[in-house]
Amino acid sequence: MTLTENLFENLRLELRRGCLTLAVLAQLKQEHYGYTLRKALAARGMEMDESTLYPLLRRLEAQGLLTSEWREEDKRNKRFYKLSSEGEQIFARLLEEWNSINTAISNLL
Amino acid sequence: MELLDRYLQAVKRHLPWERQDDIIAELKANLESQLEDKESELGRPLTKEEAEEWLKQIGPPIQVAARYQRQQYLIGPAVFPTYWFVLRLVLAWATVIYAIAKTLDIAAHGLGAGAIIAAVAYLPWILLINAAIVTLVFAAIEQASLRYPGKCAPFAPMAPEWSPAGLPPIEVDGENKPRSFAKALAEVIFGSLFLAWFLLVPHYPYLMFGPGAWYLASLPYKLAPVWWTFYWCLVGLNAFELTWKVVDFVRGAWQGRKPLRHLAMHALSLIPLGLLMLAPEHALFLMKNPAADAAAHGAQLASANKGVLTAITIAFAIVVLQLVWGVGKMGVDAYRKRVAAAQ
Repeated sequence: MTLTENLFENLRLELRRGCLTLAVLAQLKQEHYGYTLRKALAARGMEMDESTLYPLLRRLEAQGLLTSEWREEDKRNKRFYKLSSEGEQIFARLLEEWNSINTAISNLL
Repeated sequence: MELLDRYLQAVKRHLPWERQDDIIAELKANLESQLEDKESELGRPLTKEEAEEWLKQIGPPIQVAARYQRQQYLIGPAVFPTYWFVLRLVLAWATVIYAIAKTLDIAAHGLGAGAIIAAVAYLPWILLINAAIVTLVFAAIEQASLRYPGKCAPFAPMAPEWSPAGLPPIEVDGENKPRSFAKALAEVIFGSLFLAWFLLVPHYPYLMFGPGAWYLASLPYKLAPVWWTFYWCLVGLNAFELTWKVVDFVRGAWQGRKPLRHLAMHALSLIPLGLLMLAPEHALFLMKNPAADAAAHGAQLASANKGVLTAITIAFAIVVLQLVWGVGKMGVDAYRKRVAAAQ
């Protein structure tokens, strides 16, 4: 990878990091377990690696933005995640921020 | 699938022990669902090669496990500025305290140049140990604030309350300011006068000692021959520096500062001090008439020799430390300039 490519990749990851959190919170207004969440995000154009998404769910839960419960489905125990009430509030505020940034960037371009 | 179980086992090995089972159970459920989907799409089980390729895409076990770690930093961005400030402060003070302690130790025990070199060579270890202690303390603060966020007060950066009015005034960059013509001229004039005065001192000692010269002449002691070598060495150094300044002045090159030359003169000044330290039998003063005065003044002479030698050793140590400091500062300045030029 050239220096420019490397720089671009770093900036791209930095840009994506916050967006991924927003995307996950948006998708978890409905309950999902890890794999179906990943599929749902991918179906809407937001591809995410397993090694990024699954630890992210844990972190968001530890921060109180998600709730989770183990439940059996298709003869397999799975951990289902959903937005908590605090998560809903934070998500609404983040969405506002996102829209404001989006508008500002659109005005700049 | 055996390969998936082996993969999960490898991931588990790198996970925090208290959450291993929970994380692995969740990861297994997710990956098995994904595997099922893949196999139902293909209408057959994955081959060994396909399974290997799939797991490779997920990532090396150590990296996958690392994403689940709570702590990614030894010292995080919130604590780092304070850590860096304290580290530099501690290293500076450790150097000063070590230099003073070693100078006193060397002086008290009358140790020579070997002890000075050993003391300078040991300084990096002292700095390393201090840096390690500071780093450990701050790493512990970082860990504590992360593990017990409710119990530990959030880390307050240094000087949280400040006022722009309290900021120090703009510093004058004296080091990079060009030297004035008047200063360069004064240096040449006073340097010449000093050298002339210094050359006259052996013939007219009262020029240096005043009325004390007659008292000194009445003492039963005289200077050892090594002082003459010391004296001519000083004359040579002063003449050398003066010539350099005169040449600069005549060429019109007085404006630029010459840090390298300054350091070279500093290093050369060690020669006359070293000569005194290496005086035969450490005798800097001798009896004028040993046969007559040895009994009455021998002990006094030995004490004077020891005292002056100790003072010279301390002066030597101070010059060495100044030299090390100067070389270090020059190295840091050169590095900063190179980095700034490269950006």
